[in-house]
Amino acid sequence: MNEIHFNVDAGYLEGVVRGYRDGLITSPQYLNLTQCETMDDLKLQLATTDYGSLLQNEPSPLSTSTLAARCTDALVAEFQYLQQNAAEPISRFLDYITYGYMIDNVILLITGTLHERDTHDLLEKCHPLGFFDSMPALCVATTVKELYHTVMVDSPLAGYFRECLSAEDLNELNMEIIRNTLYKAYLEDFDAYCRSLGDPTATIMSEILSFEADRRTVNITINSFGTELSKDDRARLYPRLGGMYPEAQTKLARVDDMDQVKAILEQYGEYRSMIVGVNLSMAGGDSGSSALSLEDRFFAKEVQLNKDSFEQQFHYGVFYSWLRLKEQEIRNVVWIAECISQHQKDKIANYTNIY
Amino acid sequence: MAQHAAHKNRTLIAAIGDEDTVTGLLLAGIGDVNAQQQANFLVVEAKTTQEQIEDTFLAFTKRPDVAIVLINQHIAESIRGILDEYDAAFPTVLEIPSKDHPYDPEKDSVLKRVQLLFGD
Amino acid sequence: MAAVRDNVFPTRMNLTVTKTRLKGAQTGHSLLKRKSEALTTRFRVILRKIEDAKLKMGKVMQTASFSLAEVAYITGDIGYQVRENAKRATFKVAAKQENVSGVLLPAFEAEVRAGAGQFELTGLGRGGQQVQRARTAYVAAVAMLVELASLQTAFVILDEIIKVTNRRVNAIEYVIIPRIENTIAHINSELDEQDREEFYRLKKIQSKKKERAARAQKEIDEAARRAIADGNLHQAVGGDAPAARDLLAEQADEDVIF
Repeated sequence: MNEIHFNVDAGYLEGVVRGYRDGLITSPQYLNLTQCETMDDLKLQLATTDYGSLLQNEPSPLSTSTLAARCTDALVAEFQYLQQNAAEPISRFLDYITYGYMIDNVILLITGTLHERDTHDLLEKCHPLGFFDSMPALCVATTVKELYHTVMVDSPLAGYFRECLSAEDLNELNMEIIRNTLYKAYLEDFDAYCRSLGDPTATIMSEILSFEADRRTVNITINSFGTELSKDDRARLYPRLGGMYPEAQTKLARVDDMDQVKAILEQYGEYRSMIVGVNLSMAGGDSGSSALSLEDRFFAKEVQLNKDSFEQQFHYGVFYSWLRLKEQEIRNVVWIAECISQHQKDKIANYTNIY
Repeated sequence: MAQHAAHKNRTLIAAIGDEDTVTGLLLAGIGDVNAQQQANFLVVEAKTTQEQIEDTFLAFTKRPDVAIVLINQHIAESIRGILDEYDAAFPTVLEIPSKDHPYDPEKDSVLKRVQLLFGD
Repeated sequence: MAAVRDNVFPTRMNLTVTKTRLKGAQTGHSLLKRKSEALTTRFRVILRKIEDAKLKMGKVMQTASFSLAEVAYITGDIGYQVRENAKRATFKVAAKQENVSGVLLPAFEAEVRAGAGQFELTGLGRGGQQVQRARTAYVAAVAMLVELASLQTAFVILDEIIKVTNRRVNAIEYVIIPRIENTIAHINSELDEQDREEFYRLKKIQSKKKERAARAQKEIDEAARRAIADGNLHQAVGGDAPAARDLLAEQADEDVIF
């Protein structure tokens, strides 16, 4: 990567995205939001943030789902603005970001097709960021086999499908396994692509993606306890990158309970601090305890990594990081809204602060 | 004893509710889709019509394998007329609160009957 | 008589039968009344339980739906996956019966098939723990709803039965018993009437007999006077005979008076 030429293609967009970043809700604003007593208060408070007039036109008993939908709309609008103004190679980078959403959408469509649902209804439920041109074409497919071939031909995900799945797999495997298989392929591919972009994008992105991979590894391990997922299958779902690849993954593939996971994680400096004081046992994890879960720690770590990526200039990581931060912000806002509307104010502080 | 045999077969819990309520109930494992692709649950969204709700409710109450029909109270409000008329013992119709609408005992068809009985 | 009564022939036997029926009705009435009271007690207990449970339900459901909000925070919207993955119910109910004062009340019992079932892999990539926690919360909530549902079914059925029982109690109290009483009164009055008629008839016969006796006396007296006029030949016999007749006549008189 040549810093001299960076601004020719990416200067404007980087400026825009840094501007977006400054629009993220800050901790004093979060504090104000958590003070709200009703959804109307929250609406009023949100009007002072970048969401501004977004919610003005919503009828007054604002539901959290509407709030989430509107916020996502805002995110999508901003992201699409970036996409429209992007030239190669940023546009390609941005496309890569959307593949993650596409996986979810394709899985959604496959699930729908398997259950013979009206695929046009499904399109509405798809994440707008994961929309690709030929997606409506998938709706034509009525059988899984047909769908498979359409996906292979028409979607940007074809590569991932070809590598790891056959048409028969779609019918037989659990949808979640397919989703995670695809996501694993996607992560690996994205990582390879980032590396090809050279420094500093490669360094920054590989750190973030490694973390993402590690997080998935740990989650898949924890969540597969006591399920039909065999240990071999579990190992096959681990992304082949990240700080835990390959050594810790081989170990994690064989563990049976939380304590063993804990023991393995403790060998890694960056994760050791994370698991301290975390309530790892599922059984004791009733919603009454306000202790932060492992997921919360992961979120905090993710936010930290993404914030760090803004510390450097002349790289594409900012786009990815901004999107992740914005997503986290939406989650936070929705969480606060849920707490307010469900009168669970004692847990309202469980959001992950960004700035 | 024919009646006895009749409710032996009632094993399902049907649900009519908003997305979150139904999702939760399905997570608990009440969901059932039979060979005719008939589901025992209905998600009421903004575009769901009044008739759809009414038809589904009547269909659920007529199904011989349904023991309990759960319905969100705010949805029950919209078909209150039918609900007030419904007085069969099987299946039992239960009004449940939803996320955005806390439970209001005043509106419950059954509790209203209670108040009517002891309305001294 | 305007009151309703059974259409029976007023005889002494029917009177006895009807009196037995009255006794039966009274016993039945008190039994039914006691049953109705027992049921009502039970009913009130159930009502109280329903009210408690309904309020508790609000809380349980709130906890459950909040756990879903936690899932949404970590995993995002899982509604669609969950809905599409629903195939066969793992949470079912079984109906059993309970006997309250001879009334069969159905009760539902939750039957959860073991294991996480069809959603065990939901949120595998992230949030699986939250999903399972939400699942646990909802299983608890549904179990509670099932309990409430059995209470409510019991309520509806008991309500119906109590109404029927009360209707019977009232029917016996206000219709059957008065009717039987009316019947008894009717039979009694008919029997009295018959007695009075009989009495009148006897009296009439008596007076006729008296008339006839008086006439016979007169004739005898006449004959006696004629015999005195005829001479003393039959004096002893004539004096004896009238004395004997007078005595008979007096006895007859007493008989009539009672």
